[in-house]
Amino acid sequence: MTTRSERKSASQAPVVVYDKVRKLYGSFVALDGVSVQVNKGEVMCLIGPSGSGKSTLLRCTNALEAIDGGRVLIDGVPLPTDEREARKVRQRMGMVFQNFELFPHKNALDNVAIGPVTVLGMSETKARERAMKLLEKVGLADKAHNFPSGLSGGQQQRVAIARALAMEPEVMLFDEPTSALDPETIGEVLNVMKKLADEGMTMVVVTHEMAFARSVADWVVVFDHGKVVEQGPPRQIFEAPTAERTRDFLGHLGWHG
Amino acid sequence: MDFDFSALLDSWQYLLGGLGITLLLSLLTGIGALVLGTALGLGRVYGPAWLRIPIVFYIDTQRAIPVLVVLVWFYFAVPILTGISFHPFWAALMALTLHIAAYVAEIVRAGIESIRPGQIRAALALGMSRPQIVRKVVLPQALVRMLPAFGSILSITIKDTAIATVIAVPELMKRAETIAGQSYRPIEVFTVVMVIYFIILFPGTRLIDALYKRVAHLGRS
Amino acid sequence: MNLDWNIVWDHRAELLDGALLTVLLTVLTMVVAVPVGIVLALMRLSKSRVLAGASQAYVEFFRNLPLILVVYWAFYVMPVLLHIQFSAFTTGLVALCLNVSAYNAETFRAGINSIRKGQTEAAIAVGMSRWQAMKKVVIPQAWRRVLPVLASTWVSLFKDTSLVSVIAVGELAHVALQIRSSSFRVLEMLTAMAVIYWLMGYPQAKLVDWIQKRFEVKE
Repeated sequence: MTTRSERKSASQAPVVVYDKVRKLYGSFVALDGVSVQVNKGEVMCLIGPSGSGKSTLLRCTNALEAIDGGRVLIDGVPLPTDEREARKVRQRMGMVFQNFELFPHKNALDNVAIGPVTVLGMSETKARERAMKLLEKVGLADKAHNFPSGLSGGQQQRVAIARALAMEPEVMLFDEPTSALDPETIGEVLNVMKKLADEGMTMVVVTHEMAFARSVADWVVVFDHGKVVEQGPPRQIFEAPTAERTRDFLGHLGWHG
Repeated sequence: MDFDFSALLDSWQYLLGGLGITLLLSLLTGIGALVLGTALGLGRVYGPAWLRIPIVFYIDTQRAIPVLVVLVWFYFAVPILTGISFHPFWAALMALTLHIAAYVAEIVRAGIESIRPGQIRAALALGMSRPQIVRKVVLPQALVRMLPAFGSILSITIKDTAIATVIAVPELMKRAETIAGQSYRPIEVFTVVMVIYFIILFPGTRLIDALYKRVAHLGRS
Repeated sequence: MNLDWNIVWDHRAELLDGALLTVLLTVLTMVVAVPVGIVLALMRLSKSRVLAGASQAYVEFFRNLPLILVVYWAFYVMPVLLHIQFSAFTTGLVALCLNVSAYNAETFRAGINSIRKGQTEAAIAVGMSRWQAMKKVVIPQAWRRVLPVLASTWVSLFKDTSLVSVIAVGELAHVALQIRSSSFRVLEMLTAMAVIYWLMGYPQAKLVDWIQKRFEVKE
């Protein structure tokens, strides 16, 4: 298990920049001036207690939610407020949800193909070819014609990953991808994610899987109450955290380096 | 207690003609109510305020007034207001369609609103536009969920056509009354008509239930 | 087209009586149809195939017939079958009760079935009898799901009372139509009838909406 101590890809350009991002739900401050940078080819893990703002930040990244302060820059360009422009930006990012959110009325193959067909105007044949290749990549080529109701949780999540990849995104956003899975199936999903990381995909992952974060992440950001309490390479966060809150959080999880 | 079915045997063609009218009226009403109701339902969910508010008022009004009242008002009052008089069949068709469309609209609304927001978020994350999301993700699933309710709408429609008897539409119920009145054999006549209605209605609901079981998983997210 | 709306005001007492009778029919029917519905539901859920079958037959029968037909049938058949002459009111009431209890039976059955089996199992594991489990665990949870449907059935029933007008029961529809016939004030009376139903029915429909929101069960 190797941990990386310097910031890998520090020489690469930042793909996503969060600059003092603020987000409010009524009077509740979900994000309180978050400043983080995601470099190309990097795997960034966001960890922290529930409700600390990690998922909120992710949803602001592809404009699923609007921010109330600060900026989110994609390739140096602030997120557009116009819905049509925002849609174009969303096409460059892939998102994987905790509840998979596969479309139940389409089989696995068509779930993966629906993005290219509907959004990119690709022909169904071409889209299905691409979908098949991606299903092979996640190890589910034999389940291409199954409907979500006929797939296990882990299988559904892998199809969901393939669906996001079908749009050939620059960045993949994962919102607690394994939190709704049985322990036995968590492994199969994490393996797919690790493979993606090894291939150089830029990934932002909100997760509670600390072992995964420790071994796969290039950079870890610790959240608490809407703020970043610490960020750094996994070796720092997991072996020698500098912030009190980080130590508390990891200690709570039974993680003692 | 002696039974005499002779009047029925003599007039069976007359009765069957009534059944034909019942089925025709039900079919036309069903289609009309489905189309109008879906339009109203979509307008209710996705329309701007100036469209939504009148639609809601219309739907709530139909929910508040009995079918009988709508039928009678259409047949007797509308001619006075507009100067056009309708054949009972058409008056019944319009009244029933307008009334039942309100229920269809509510079913459409409930179906659409039952789709989890997560599905919409997933579609947004792929870059789909809102109209695309409605067409490709929300409606296909909502339609499956609405199936059982649509089935019961069909059943209600057929039952409501029987009320058209009060405005002398020559459907099954009216013809039954006529024969019963002429033959003084109401028990035999109405019992047979009961059986006829049961035979057309009972399989319908069972069929819809069976169909729904087969496709329910397509609407479950 | 000359309209005389005074006719409505002149007959306000009769219309009010009609409206009250409508309400009375609704209340009385529910008073009978709710307990009968519960009994039918329990019969359907019982282990006895005879009881379950009888209940199912009853429910399927009345759910698949037009109410207006049941009204007519009751009017002609009951006196002959039972050798007593009933008033139109009673006949209408019986028809309504037969009809609504069938719907209620389904409502209660669905409500009870919607409670996960595990709940009953947990109760029995603790040592309760099936009956106690039903009373203490299932029914308290089930009634939340049943209430919105009952409310909706109530409003439907309220409107369906208009159908007993065909056997000359003096509820609102019958009264209004009678006045129309005798006065020839068609538009005025029919509109008045519609408006009075609307005034009574609209708040009920809104109340049903509120109840459904309040008791909404989110899985």
